[in-house]
Amino acid sequence: MATNTAIRVRNLTHTVTSNTGDLTILKGINMEINESESVAIVGSSGSGKSTLLGLLAGLDVNTSGDIFLYDHNFSSQNEEQRALARGEYVGFVFQSFHLLPSLQAIENVMLPAELKGDKDARKKAEALLDKVGLSHRLTHYPNQLSGGEQQRVAIARAFASQPKILFADEPTGNLDEENGNLIIKLLFDLNKSQGTTLVMVTHDNELAKMCDRQLVMSAGQLTEKTL
Amino acid sequence: MSFTFRLMLRDIRSGDLITLLMALIISVSTVTSIGLFIDRLQLSFEQESANLLAADRLIRSDELISDDWKLEAQNLSLEQAERTSFTTMMFAKDSLQLSQISAVSNNYPLRGAYLVDDTLFGTGQSTTDSPKQGEVWVSSRLASLLNIDIGDEVEVGEAKLTVSRYLVRDPGSSTSAFAISPRAVMNIEDLAATNVIIPGSRVRYSLLLAGGRDTLAEYEAWVKPQLEDGQRWQTPAQRGERIGDTIGRAESFLLLAGTLAVVMSGVAMALASARFVKRHLMQVAILKTLGATPKLLTRVFAQQLFALLIVGALIGLGIGWGIQEIIASLLSSLVSSSLPEPSVDRLWLGAATGFISMLVFCLPLMMRLIKISPLSVLQPNAKIEQNTVFVYLIGFVGMYGLMCLYTNGFLLPSIMTVVIAGISLLVAGIGWLAFRLGRSLTSGATSGWQIGLASLYRRLVPNLFQLLVFTLIIMLTLILIGIKSSLIADWQQQLPEDAPNHYLFNVQASQIEQINDETTKLNIQKSDWFPMVRGRVTAVNEDTVQDLYPEERGEPELFERELNLTWSDTIGEGNELVSGDFSAEGLSVEQESAKEAKLSLGDELTINIGGNIVTLPITSIRTVDWGSMQPNFYLILPKSVLEDYPANFVSSLFISDDSAQPFYRVMSKFPTVSILNVGDILKQIQTIIGQLSQAIQLVLLCILSAGALVLLASVRSTLEERLEEGALLRVLGAKSSLVRQALFVEFGALGFFSGLIAAIGAEGCLYGLQVFIFNTEPSFHLSLWLFGPLIGVCVISTIGIFASRTVLKVPPMLLLRGL
Ligand SMILES: Nc1ncnc2c1ncn2[C@@H]1O[C@H](COP(=O)(O)OP(=O)(O)O)[C@@H](O)[C@H]1O
Ligand SMILES: [Mg+2]
Repeated sequence: MATNTAIRVRNLTHTVTSNTGDLTILKGINMEINESESVAIVGSSGSGKSTLLGLLAGLDVNTSGDIFLYDHNFSSQNEEQRALARGEYVGFVFQSFHLLPSLQAIENVMLPAELKGDKDARKKAEALLDKVGLSHRLTHYPNQLSGGEQQRVAIARAFASQPKILFADEPTGNLDEENGNLIIKLLFDLNKSQGTTLVMVTHDNELAKMCDRQLVMSAGQLTEKTL
Repeated sequence: MSFTFRLMLRDIRSGDLITLLMALIISVSTVTSIGLFIDRLQLSFEQESANLLAADRLIRSDELISDDWKLEAQNLSLEQAERTSFTTMMFAKDSLQLSQISAVSNNYPLRGAYLVDDTLFGTGQSTTDSPKQGEVWVSSRLASLLNIDIGDEVEVGEAKLTVSRYLVRDPGSSTSAFAISPRAVMNIEDLAATNVIIPGSRVRYSLLLAGGRDTLAEYEAWVKPQLEDGQRWQTPAQRGERIGDTIGRAESFLLLAGTLAVVMSGVAMALASARFVKRHLMQVAILKTLGATPKLLTRVFAQQLFALLIVGALIGLGIGWGIQEIIASLLSSLVSSSLPEPSVDRLWLGAATGFISMLVFCLPLMMRLIKISPLSVLQPNAKIEQNTVFVYLIGFVGMYGLMCLYTNGFLLPSIMTVVIAGISLLVAGIGWLAFRLGRSLTSGATSGWQIGLASLYRRLVPNLFQLLVFTLIIMLTLILIGIKSSLIADWQQQLPEDAPNHYLFNVQASQIEQINDETTKLNIQKSDWFPMVRGRVTAVNEDTVQDLYPEERGEPELFERELNLTWSDTIGEGNELVSGDFSAEGLSVEQESAKEAKLSLGDELTINIGGNIVTLPITSIRTVDWGSMQPNFYLILPKSVLEDYPANFVSSLFISDDSAQPFYRVMSKFPTVSILNVGDILKQIQTIIGQLSQAIQLVLLCILSAGALVLLASVRSTLEERLEEGALLRVLGAKSSLVRQALFVEFGALGFFSGLIAAIGAEGCLYGLQVFIFNTEPSFHLSLWLFGPLIGVCVISTIGIFASRTVLKVPPMLLLRGL
């Protein structure tokens, strides 16, 4: 299999200022993730997993080092450019779903396509919601859906822009086992069928094991977990 | 349909945009309605005063008015009319009488109307006609003096004219010559034929003008520099001086009301924007993770705000217009005179308010919204940059600017701004202390009292902000009510129903008894007789009077004119001693005129009385209540000085409509006595005062409703958290009566404290307003201290309970999910 590098990180350091002084969360991280790979990032709570995920997705600017997402070097781009790159390459699934409460399920899923000016947004969104088994819930508002249903809408939304990389931050953290399994199945199915690279933060060992690789976050360092 | 508008439509569905839109509409509509209404009242006063002038503007001249001036007025398409007034003998078959005659052009009067009658001493019907060529209208008094009737012929100079009507009132005659003196009006075309105007005769020429305000202003700017000695430019405001004060105060009130409306709507906009931003922070962060660029978001929100502004401004202007129409129609049914249409160009004020409110209250917050880091979706506690001071500063400056724009000045906005800043500090201090105390008094959550007080403390900052908003609104309300009551009370006592409306002049000592008998027979109320001697001040200390008024002014000043002097042993009714001793053998001077001429106790005035010179020191200064309509004098001399001069006597009387005709008939027995009727002016003042009182009440009502809406918005802005907490409590098993009690305590405490602080602020503010703006005596308002806290507790807890009644009804499950 010819492998392209989707993400490359060189000497990534990230420091934040809090009211108790400067806090270096990430201390010199190096790694690569290949296209179509599925990678789990594990580690104890507060170890910096979400911070890393955010930086990889270009949600924030790192303090030093380089982050390449395909040919985008996030460290040297401004928010405008990073936003465009996000729209083109990146999909997101969050622990707390983060659907827009004022929008119906279908409208939430349409958003990424609409942002790109896609005329077929609605049709594509309907197809995606059908795929996640929610074709009967199109016009429901998030507060009318259960947690599992909301997360399925979020997944449909994440895949709506046909992203090359999907970032998921503890996607099953707020769900019961049954719903969690359903979500995991969906994520991996889409990962396989669309060749999407999957980068997932999780506490769930079972889930981590299903991934191609596992990276462990600890004391600001990232190490490969060898089995 | 663009992305922006699809997003917007969805936002509208969720109600967030509607809140913002509502705030915008409230702000535009209150400012518009009050602005339009003030404009209408101003126009109405101007028109009423114009009736006294018979025109919108008037040029008075001792010389013939140049054709250039008429031509220019014609070029500007101003309406114009002419009046030439002079005094001459009028001859009838067997008698003659010195009369004041006005010769007027056909379209005279341009404003107002003549009152004429076909029966002698009738009360008259109004007509906008003027005498035709060959006709003359004579006052009943002149007719009875000449012993003529309608249809008889009289001679003015060499012209023969036919009496066609009795003149009751000439709209353009100055206030001091109403109707009852020997007067006549004729057509100006007959003037040449009379040949009475010869070089050297005393004639007063008037050019009357009417037209649009701007055109008149243009003409004024053109003609004023050309005015020479003996020529004057007159406006209705000058003519209506007596009502000027009243109107001025009413305008100040309305302006104040409007300014407070600006403040309230600013608060409403800020609240709604803050709520909108708070509810959209996460949404914008999510949109950013989905690839929305800052540029796109800026465009989306700019377009949304723009669309909101257009829609809000249009609806606001419409509603503002409607409200102002309603106020006006309510008024017109109360005072039976309809207001002139408002000028459409005043609408820009409302539109500008909307625009500036958006700019200063909405935009800075929106910019903050756009700046939110997309990382917030992963780190909910990663705060956005808090440049709060900057945002508040913009809001503050913007509000100040709006008030300045609105009042066209700086004094009122500055007072308001200082007070608001002071109140903010006070609220911060008092609120913090009070809640601190409340917390230490409560521990555990067993009663509604404790839960309520504890939750006050828990949300200290939002609660303090809310306390500030409540305080401001209640304070503004208290201020308006306070000013309103004192103004109206002031006005009502100013002009009692039976204030004297006629003066008798030129009465000889020998006639006094006869006239007294006649008035007693007719049951007419009359003041005392005041002796009156004419005199002229010629010097003050060693200086001539000209030195008193160094700067050259158009009008001869008080002490340069011939004055009416009187003597008296006792200080009269309505006079009040300010300094000195009234009974000392010296002069008593009225305070205002003394101030104007910089006179003080001890200055020596030299007075020329019929050729005799007397020099006396000023020994007392007094104020005069001009509103009492009693004969009043600037200078009162000691009896010993004036006693021996030949004096006329003057008195004031109240003559009801019923007694007018018999009274005038009786008075025709005393041809030398002058009668001055000021009843029309008094009636006009009473009408205007009635109108103003009603107007003020209605505007107040209007503002209070706006205030209530702002309170509601403010309560709603913190409702989510309260709802959530209420739901939680109920999930935990609290009875809804407990939740209700807790809410009541929370809102009640907020209301009580804001009412109390508002009373403090209002008292301070009223003091400043009374002293600096309304020029009335400052007073203490006990009722404020009672009503402030009472209104606070009642209104706020009612609104609070009303707004959060869902907490008590909706299943807790639904609330927990939806938030
Ligand atoms: N912007 C920030 N300011 C201050 N502290 C932060 C910020 N972002 C993250 N942190 C802190 O850094 C640590 C790592 O956070 P996070 O990446 O969310 O951990 P994880 O997702 O592994 O639980 C936490 O202790 C968190 O409180
Ligand atoms: Mg995390």
